[in-house]
Amino acid sequence: MESEVDGSLVAAHELKAPLSVLRQLALSLDGLDVENGKIRSEMVAISERAIKQVNDLTRVRRLKDGLFEMEPVSVCAICDEVSRELYHLFNRNKRELFIKYTNRAKLVTANHDLLYSVVYNFLLNAMHYSGDDTRAELIVGDYHDKVKITIRDFGPALPIDVWREIRRGWVSKPTSIAMRPGSSGLGLYIASMFSKYMNASIGAIRHRDGTSFYVELPVSRQASLF
Amino acid sequence: MIFIIDDDKDMANCIKRAAKCEARVFTNGVEAMFAVSNGELPDLIFLDILLDGPDGFTFLNELVSYSDTVKIPVVIVSSFEFSEKDLAKYGVVGVLNKDTMLPQEIKVYAEKYT
Repeated sequence: MESEVDGSLVAAHELKAPLSVLRQLALSLDGLDVENGKIRSEMVAISERAIKQVNDLTRVRRLKDGLFEMEPVSVCAICDEVSRELYHLFNRNKRELFIKYTNRAKLVTANHDLLYSVVYNFLLNAMHYSGDDTRAELIVGDYHDKVKITIRDFGPALPIDVWREIRRGWVSKPTSIAMRPGSSGLGLYIASMFSKYMNASIGAIRHRDGTSFYVELPVSRQASLF
Repeated sequence: MIFIIDDDKDMANCIKRAAKCEARVFTNGVEAMFAVSNGELPDLIFLDILLDGPDGFTFLNELVSYSDTVKIPVVIVSSFEFSEKDLAKYGVVGVLNKDTMLPQEIKVYAEKYT
């Protein structure tokens, strides 16, 4: 029997190939002055973010195959990894990233790569919407028998229809909602689908001066240190 | 001399530029194997896995089945994740992910094996 080919996975592969080439071309530029060196860094960073987004979309398609192993993972370790990766991007865009962990010891049941993408997408979103010389906040703390990761930005408030959709527990489509200016809602959709797979719930809080997105993950009973 | 086997010519040229050594580019494994059977034995092969026609594993199997090619070192260059350890039996000495690799890493392999 002929095996079925997933068109979107093929499309993702085709889309990723030129992005990888662009990244290599940018990396191969030698002897640049400071200003052009910055442009090269931007080109590399932008292509890497696009590659990551394509990889995330591929993962969304593969969620139904159940290939992502759930295991005890450290939320704080993952948040450290993501914030390290995005540190320079925040700096370049004149944003500060404030990080606060109230409990480092607890492990949650999740998939490392999916949780990484959830935090990454929310933080990228926060950087995008926070104004110049403001900060975004990443806070990890306990919430009943769960660990809650909150990402707060200081930008425009979340439209009420988006807030309602998130309140349902997940976002069903990236384009079905009117997001804040300049966004298709793709990052939120990806974070939502990955959270749902990990039995985590996402939510949003509207502030007068911005928005907090949060994800609550079940604590791993097997491997928590405390 | 090195072989670069990748159906994406742009990526193959990036690898060639980064390797900074004499290189032949092939867009599929069949052409590369034909060159080998005609006596061209490269010092190192950069090999993509998802190729037009037979995939990279078919090429690797061909390579290890002949006495004159079994010891040619191969570096996998792919968007997929592979374990170097699992591929060691195919003569694979390194795995580079196209999403994250650096030109310097390509150069290091080229300098080491040529």
